[in-house]
Amino acid sequence: MANVSIDGDNLIVEIEGLDKLWALKSRLVIPLANVRGATADPGISREAKGLRAPGTHFPGVITAGTFHIDGERVFWDVHDATKAVVIELADERYARLVVEVSDPRATVALIERATAVS
Amino acid sequence: MVRSAAELFAGRTYDGTSIDDLVAHLGVHRNSLYKTFGSKRGLYLAALRWSLDHDLAPLIGRIAEGAGPLEGLREALAAPVTGAGLDLLLLAAAERAPEDAEVADMVAEAFAALDRATGALVRADDDGEASGLATALTAAVLGLRLRARSGAASAAVDQAGAALAQRLDQH
Repeated sequence: MANVSIDGDNLIVEIEGLDKLWALKSRLVIPLANVRGATADPGISREAKGLRAPGTHFPGVITAGTFHIDGERVFWDVHDATKAVVIELADERYARLVVEVSDPRATVALIERATAVS
Repeated sequence: MVRSAAELFAGRTYDGTSIDDLVAHLGVHRNSLYKTFGSKRGLYLAALRWSLDHDLAPLIGRIAEGAGPLEGLREALAAPVTGAGLDLLLLAAAERAPEDAEVADMVAEAFAALDRATGALVRADDDGEASGLATALTAAVLGLRLRARSGAASAAVDQAGAALAQRLDQH
């Protein structure tokens, strides 16, 4: 599970609990200017995830860490697929983040508000 | 691809369309969908823009280029039967515009374009009346589409449109 918040001009993704170990990462800070959008996507967990390096993948239980697919680097931290949110990035180490959050709809709304063209 | 997305959103609403639906119907890989549009919202905005430019704009053109006011009115009031271009606009206005400022802007722009086209067809004593009638006529077009979409017989919708066109032309 991840906690997604906004701090000034940055998106903060904090990996909670033991997932820090599985994902080998505890915190990601992304400038909002590099966040292209967010989508609740429960179906993404059924897709091929690519090659894991480094991280943890027990199919059906947890997907966590860095995966490589189609030449892109994707960060995963998902146990419960129904709560997966996809955050698309630009000019970052990761092309996208796929993280489990407690309230996908609220997280998507938070990111859309923060990145809205004003 | 954006066109198929527009059809999907127009049929199932924004919330009712999942990424799984989009991936299945658009024949696109999930990763490239994200790469191209950034998010479901990004794809939706592109689909709505496409629909306004390719479905609604031609309808507005047909209204404006009618042989006369009566033909223009008939064209406008016949549109609800086929629904071409109106469904996604209707749903966008009801579902997304209240919570998405960018959608609200696009919807307002589309309503204004419809108002300009319908406003040119009505005879009015002053600008205030003309703009009021234009708004009411656009509302009638959208309202009739709502009736048609919820199952009203197309003959009944057609008749309502024709009756209104006839009456407006007499004044």
